[in-house]
Amino acid sequence: MNDMRAVERDVDIHELKMQARGVDVFYGDNHAIKSVDVDIEDKTVTAFIGPSGCGKSTFLRCLNRMNDTIDICRVTGDITLDTENIYDPKVDPVQLRAKVGMVFQKPNPFPKSIYDNVAYGPRIHGLSRNKAELDEIVERSLRRAALWNESKDRLGEPGTGLSGGQQQRLCIARAVATNPEVLLMDEPCSALDPIATAQIEELIDELRSQYSVVIVTHSMQQAARVSQKTAFFHLGELVEFGETKHIFTNPDDPRTESYITGRIG
Amino acid sequence: MTDATAAGVPDAPRKSSLYAADARTTRRNKAEKRFRAYGLSAVSLGLLALVLLLISILSNGLSSFRQTYITIPVTLSAERLDPAGNRDAAEMARVTTFGYVPLLGQSLVDYVAAAGIETELGAQEIGGLISGEAPAQVRARVLANPGLIGQTIQVDMLVGGRIDGFFKGRVSMDSAGRDSNVSPEQLLLAQALADEGAIVTRFNWRFITAPDASDTRPEAAGLGVAIIGSLYMMMIVLVLALPIGVASSIYLEEFAPKNRITDIIEVNISNLAAVPSIVFGILGLAIFINFAGLPQSAPIVGGLVLTLMTLPTIIIATRASLRAVPPSIRSAALGLGASKMQSVFHHVLPLAAPGILTGTIIGLAQALGETAPLLLIGMVAFVRDYPSAPLEGFFDPASALPVQVYNWTQRSDPAFVERASGAIIVLLVFLIFMNAMAVLLRRRFERRW
Amino acid sequence: MARSGHIVSGFDRDLESIQALIMRMGGLVEESILKAATALETRDEDLAAEVRAGDKAIDALEEQLNEEAARILALRAPTARDLRIVLSVFRVSANLERIGDYSKNIAKRSSVIIQAPPINGTSASLRRMARAVELMLKDVLDAYIQRDADLAADVRARDQEGDQMYSALFREYLTFMMEDPRNITTTMHLHFMAKNIERMGDHVTSIAEQVIYLVTGEMPDDDRPKQDRTPYEQGTGG
Repeated sequence: MNDMRAVERDVDIHELKMQARGVDVFYGDNHAIKSVDVDIEDKTVTAFIGPSGCGKSTFLRCLNRMNDTIDICRVTGDITLDTENIYDPKVDPVQLRAKVGMVFQKPNPFPKSIYDNVAYGPRIHGLSRNKAELDEIVERSLRRAALWNESKDRLGEPGTGLSGGQQQRLCIARAVATNPEVLLMDEPCSALDPIATAQIEELIDELRSQYSVVIVTHSMQQAARVSQKTAFFHLGELVEFGETKHIFTNPDDPRTESYITGRIG
Repeated sequence: MTDATAAGVPDAPRKSSLYAADARTTRRNKAEKRFRAYGLSAVSLGLLALVLLLISILSNGLSSFRQTYITIPVTLSAERLDPAGNRDAAEMARVTTFGYVPLLGQSLVDYVAAAGIETELGAQEIGGLISGEAPAQVRARVLANPGLIGQTIQVDMLVGGRIDGFFKGRVSMDSAGRDSNVSPEQLLLAQALADEGAIVTRFNWRFITAPDASDTRPEAAGLGVAIIGSLYMMMIVLVLALPIGVASSIYLEEFAPKNRITDIIEVNISNLAAVPSIVFGILGLAIFINFAGLPQSAPIVGGLVLTLMTLPTIIIATRASLRAVPPSIRSAALGLGASKMQSVFHHVLPLAAPGILTGTIIGLAQALGETAPLLLIGMVAFVRDYPSAPLEGFFDPASALPVQVYNWTQRSDPAFVERASGAIIVLLVFLIFMNAMAVLLRRRFERRW
Repeated sequence: MARSGHIVSGFDRDLESIQALIMRMGGLVEESILKAATALETRDEDLAAEVRAGDKAIDALEEQLNEEAARILALRAPTARDLRIVLSVFRVSANLERIGDYSKNIAKRSSVIIQAPPINGTSASLRRMARAVELMLKDVLDAYIQRDADLAADVRARDQEGDQMYSALFREYLTFMMEDPRNITTTMHLHFMAKNIERMGDHVTSIAEQVIYLVTGEMPDDDRPKQDRTPYEQGTGG
C-alpha cells in the first residue's frame, strides 16, 4: 500500500533493517515480553503502542541492549541488525549503541555546553580526526535536528539552558551525531508542550529519509500521525503489527480495535 | 419536589459564614501557636548556651593575643660573652644561657637607676621581672650576629609571667602578697617602668608562631608546633582519605553487584562512622606504633589514624553525591555508546564533585578537632622543636592543636588558662573557616536538575 | 459480539444520540413515502399537503445530524469502527434527505394529477412500487441499527425489482401517451413520479452500501446488478 507521504517525500525503500524473532524478556520471574516477532524496515517510522505496562518500552530497550544494565533482566530470542545477531557474545554493546541511538522521554542533555553535548558521542567513538571534522559533525547533527539556527551563536552555552523542546532536539542531535542506522525514541514528546511536540514530529518525519526510526508513544494520535507501521502490544504480547493506516481504520484484532477506540485501558 | 422532602430527604446543609471562626480551627490555631513557641524557646536555649560558651572563651582567651615586653638597652660585654675575644660563634656558644642571665639583670638595674625610679628591691629581684625565656633569645641573637659584642643595643624581652598577668589584670597587689613567685614591690617597679615607657603590652605574634614553653614560662608558650603538626596531619588525611574514599565509593555505587556481600560492606561502613574516636586511637597504637614501628607522637601516625576516622565520612558523602546524580544522565551516556567507566568518569563524577568536596571539607574539619585518638598515640608529649619540612617532617615528633589545648589545661600556672582559651579560639577560627568554605561551595555548585 | 463501551461514557452517548437521530429521520422519511403514495391513490389533497410540509422536519434533521457528526469528529477523534459510524451518518443522512425530497416531489405532482381525470391502473402500480421502496427502506434501517450486513446485501439486490417495475411502467406510459395525446400531461407527471420512486430505491441501495462498509470496513464492489434498461432502449412503435 503506498503511503501518500512516502510519495511526497520521495522515499519508498522497504528493506528490512532490524528483525526480531521469538524474543522473550524476563525480569527475574516476571515474564515481561512473550515471544515477539517484529520487522523494522529501513527509512520507515515504526510506532509501538499499547497500554501502560504492556512491555513496549522494555522491548524498545532490547533493540539497543540497554536492558543489559539491569541485572535481573534476561533476554532470549533473536534480534538482528542487518542480519547480524546483536546478542551474539562477540558483539560489544558499546559498538552496537553507536549504530542504534536512543532518545529518552525526559530531555536529558549533559550539563555541558551544547557543542560538547553533541560532540561527546563522536569523541568517544573516535569518529573525527581533528577539530575541524568534529566541528563539521556537530554542525551537521544540529542541522539535522533543526536546532542549528537557534544554537549556532551559542554553542558554548550549557545545554541545560535551552527550552524543553530545544533540549529534546539537542538530545536528538546528540543521538544522530554518531551516525546511527536506527534511532530509538522512548516517548520523546511526553514531557513537551503541543508546539514543541509538533516540531519534534515534523523532525521525525524528516529523519525518516535517513534513518530507521522506532518510536514508543502513549498517544495513539501521535502514532497515527507520525508512523508508517504500527505494532500494538498488550500484556507483553505483540497483538497486531501492520500498516498504520490499516490499524487505525480497520484493525484485524478486536483487542487492537478496543484499545484504539478507547474501550480498554 | 414536595414528595421528596416529605419522604425524609435531608435538608440542604446549613451554610456557615467564613467570617465566623469555628471551634476546631481555633483550637488548632492555638495548638500551632504553642508549638511555635516551644520551638522558639528551644532554639533560644541553644543559642544562649552557645553565647555563654563564646563569652567564656573569648573573655579568657583574647588576652593571650597580647603580650607584655620590656625594652631596655643592654650592654653586651665582651668579657662575659666572648672570653676568647675572637668573635667566633662556636667558641661563644660555650657560654650558656645561664651566662646571659646576670647580664640582662644588670642592664635592667642600670636602667632603673638611670631612670630615677626608686625601689627597695635587690638586683636579683629586679632581674626577676624579666622572663626566663629572654636570655635564650638574646643568646641566639648574639650567636647569629657576633659583631654585636661590645655594643649596647636595645633589646626587646618578654617580661615574666606574673608581671604579664599584672598588666592583664590576672595578678593584683593582694594576690601578689600571697604568691611566692612575685612580690608587690616588683609589681610597683613594673608599673613605674611602664610609666617610663619601657614596658609595653602589644600584639603577640609569638602566640601563633612560637613553640611550646615549659610550665614555669607561660608567657613564652605558643602554638607554632601544634599548628604545624595539625597541618601535616591534615595534609596526610587529604592525600590518603580522599582518593581511597572516593574510589571505594565509586566501586560500591557503580560497579559492585547488588548482593549480600555488598550489603554487609555498606552496613559496616556506616557503622564505622559511629565508632568512638578513642577506639581508633587504640587501633593506631596497636598497629602503627607497636606493629609497624612508626615513631610515637609523629604526624604520620596521627594522620593515618585520622584517615581511618575520616574515611567513612568521605565514603558516605561521596555515595550520597553519586546517588544524587540523576540516572537519566547515566542512561544518556550509555545510550550514546559510552562504557560504564566512561559514563562514571566523564559525567557522574564531575557532577558529584561539589558534594564530594563538601563532604571532604567537613570530614577534615572533624579530624582537625579530634583529640582522643591523638592522646593515645602519644601526641601529648611536650615538643619544643619544629618538625622539619614535609616527608621527613612527618616522622618528627609534633603536637596538634586540640592536644595542645588539653596539655595547657593540665598545667598549674593560671596563665595557661589564658593560653588554653586562646588556643581554643584559634581552633574555632579554623573550624568555622572550613565549615564556611563547605557551605559556600555547596551553595555555589548546587544544581537543580 | 458484546463489546464494552468507551471508557469515556460521553463518547458512547454521543454516538447513541446520532444513531437515534438517524432512526428518527428514517422513520419520518418512511412515513412520508407512505403518505405520498396513499395521497396519490386516494386522491387526497390534504394528505399531499401534509407530506410537503413534513419535508421541513426532515431537512432540519439532516442539518442537525451534520452538525453533531462534525462535532464528534472534532472533539472525539474517532478511529476504526467509531470513525466509520460517523462517516456513515453523514452519507446516510444525505441519502435520507434526498429520499425525503423525492417524496415531497411526488406529493407535489400528486396535487396536479388529482385535478385531472384519472387514468386507469396507473396509480395502483405506482403505489406498489412505492410500497416496495418503503419496505426496502425499513429493512435497510433495521440492517443499519442491527449492523446486519447480510440484510443490507439483500436489500441491495432487491433494488433490481424496483428497476424492473420502473422499466415496465415506462413502456406502459409510452403506450398511454401514444394512444391518446390528451393523456400526455398526466402521464408525464406519472412518469416523473415513477422515476422519483426509482431514484429513491437507488438511494436506499446507497444506504445499504454504507451499512456494509460500516460493518465490514470495506465498500462492496461495484457489481450491483442494474436492471434498468431504459437508457438503452430505442422507441418502440405500436
